[in-house]
Amino acid sequence: MRHLPSRGGLRVEEAAARQPALPGPASPDMRFEATVHAGRRAGDLDAVAELDLDRVPDPEGGIRLLLTAEGAAALVSRGYEVRLLDVLPVRPLDAELFAGEGATLAWLERAVQGIERHQAS
Amino acid sequence: MYRTVAQLDFLTGLLAAWFPQYFTRIQLPEPSVQGRPVYALRMRAGGGGERRGVLLVGGTHARELMNPDAIVELSVDLLVSHANGTDIVYGGRTWPANDVRIILETLDLWLLPCSNPDGRDYVMTVDDLWRKNRRDNPSTPCDGVDLNRNLDVLWGVTEGQTSCSPCSDVYCGPSALSEPETRNVQHLLDTRRVDCFADVHSYSELILYPWGHAPTQTVDATKRFTGLPNGTCAGLGQPGYQEYMLPADLQRFQTVGQRIVDAIAAVRGRAYTNQASIGLYPTTGTHGDYAYSRHIANPRLRKTFGYTFETGPWVGNARDSFHPADPTLIKRDAKSGMLALMQQCICAIELIGSRFLGREAEVSALRRVRDELLGTTEAGREWIALFERVQGRLAATVLGDERLSQEGAELIETVGRLLQEESAPVPADVVERVQSLLGELVERSSSEEDRADLAAVGTQLSRVTGSSVADALSTLRHQGPAGGGTAYQRPG
Repeated sequence: MRHLPSRGGLRVEEAAARQPALPGPASPDMRFEATVHAGRRAGDLDAVAELDLDRVPDPEGGIRLLLTAEGAAALVSRGYEVRLLDVLPVRPLDAELFAGEGATLAWLERAVQGIERHQAS
Repeated sequence: MYRTVAQLDFLTGLLAAWFPQYFTRIQLPEPSVQGRPVYALRMRAGGGGERRGVLLVGGTHARELMNPDAIVELSVDLLVSHANGTDIVYGGRTWPANDVRIILETLDLWLLPCSNPDGRDYVMTVDDLWRKNRRDNPSTPCDGVDLNRNLDVLWGVTEGQTSCSPCSDVYCGPSALSEPETRNVQHLLDTRRVDCFADVHSYSELILYPWGHAPTQTVDATKRFTGLPNGTCAGLGQPGYQEYMLPADLQRFQTVGQRIVDAIAAVRGRAYTNQASIGLYPTTGTHGDYAYSRHIANPRLRKTFGYTFETGPWVGNARDSFHPADPTLIKRDAKSGMLALMQQCICAIELIGSRFLGREAEVSALRRVRDELLGTTEAGREWIALFERVQGRLAATVLGDERLSQEGAELIETVGRLLQEESAPVPADVVERVQSLLGELVERSSSEEDRADLAAVGTQLSRVTGSSVADALSTLRHQGPAGGGTAYQRPG
């Protein structure tokens, strides 16, 4: 592992300690999909980027986030307006979205049917 | 449907075992953080040594599930097309068998379908919106590094969506390339010839090119990322900073990007946007920027044109946008885009020159003209763009015909020699031969755009006959192809 020297800035550990990151539980059991808007006390939406949140593309070009309840609360406490759009319980991928057992081989067998295979296989 | 890591590995293993003439599976030097093997495929047809290369990376962000499947499926589509001599049809876009043949017989395709297997497994078994790898971040309750912030380009500069906080979903890691998953990508770039690169993400229907940390400008070459501090855990700290890029490179990113966008649109009309990465949001340490930045940070390294694809549309919420119930149509769009990148990565002159002449001198002379003369003016860059637009398809036509290939090679040799004698006149017989070749290509082309481009070349050639090589080059540098011609008349 190569640790780059920090040129002209803080040491990474020092700088990380000064980051204004919002609190986030290690293993949330719930997230929210939300958009963030200027509030009465916080108009600079660019500053949201400094809060280290999980930003996802927004179809309107706005700021859309996946965030925890703590993250949402912290944004509100900083004066932003947060619109919660969806509740996203932390869960595994829907079982219906998995390729089935055996489907992978069957798919490949079908796709390459008639093409000569290496004998050793 | 989405395949598990085991299923993806099973497929790549089978492809290499069943079709060793096409596939070589490589276990990359670093297992994932949790110890899973990470595999890449090399795909090619035919023999020979080193070729121009395309590297496609999928699954960097764990929750963006469809792209690893798309990359493996694309390799199977290519195999079937080449083995059976059949076209690849993606909706309204047909990739002729001959185009696929040229891609597989002239390029090395390096496919890393699932660069973050731990993350994919975690998405499938625990948390379907997990983004990072599964690094245990010591002394914190939080896991994971955002692999697409961990590369060695402005690493640890927290401009925009990059963080030094281990609990953040955009955590850049404890050091540049700290993660085995990113070192595997670095390994491929270090040890293989990679001319074109795409890190395939989801979603928002974008084709992104550098830069991510600042707007791109082509005027002030002193503004380079190499002069900026990294590892600061602070923003760039220079309000208004804009990163330099060679004008010819920016044009190539835009030209090739537009080809990718067009190839996707032709499938079923999805309108992807080609733009600089920062247009999505500011980032540092990304794969696409890293791939392209390497030759700037270290001029001994090869230039790699690095893209980021963002496949699929917004479908009303983030969860379904990252992994829609049926990604079939999105994967088809993405595969057409990846094929376009491959086709655009072919360098027709280099290919014909090396295959038929077996030496570099004339090709190098042409490359110098492109980079050192044409690349420095607006009009010259328009000629380069024209050539890059047509060359992929024309290479397929030329290489599919022994006589045309031979004639092309002889003309490359002749023109390459001429370029070394700048005071010599451009001989009429050479112009006539080029015109004749252009005429044949026009007759065989089914693309109106190609025919118009070839007509522009023919018109310009007529103008420079008899003038000195130096004057002819000067003309090209100051007079672009716009309005060069619309109806091609084959001489004789």
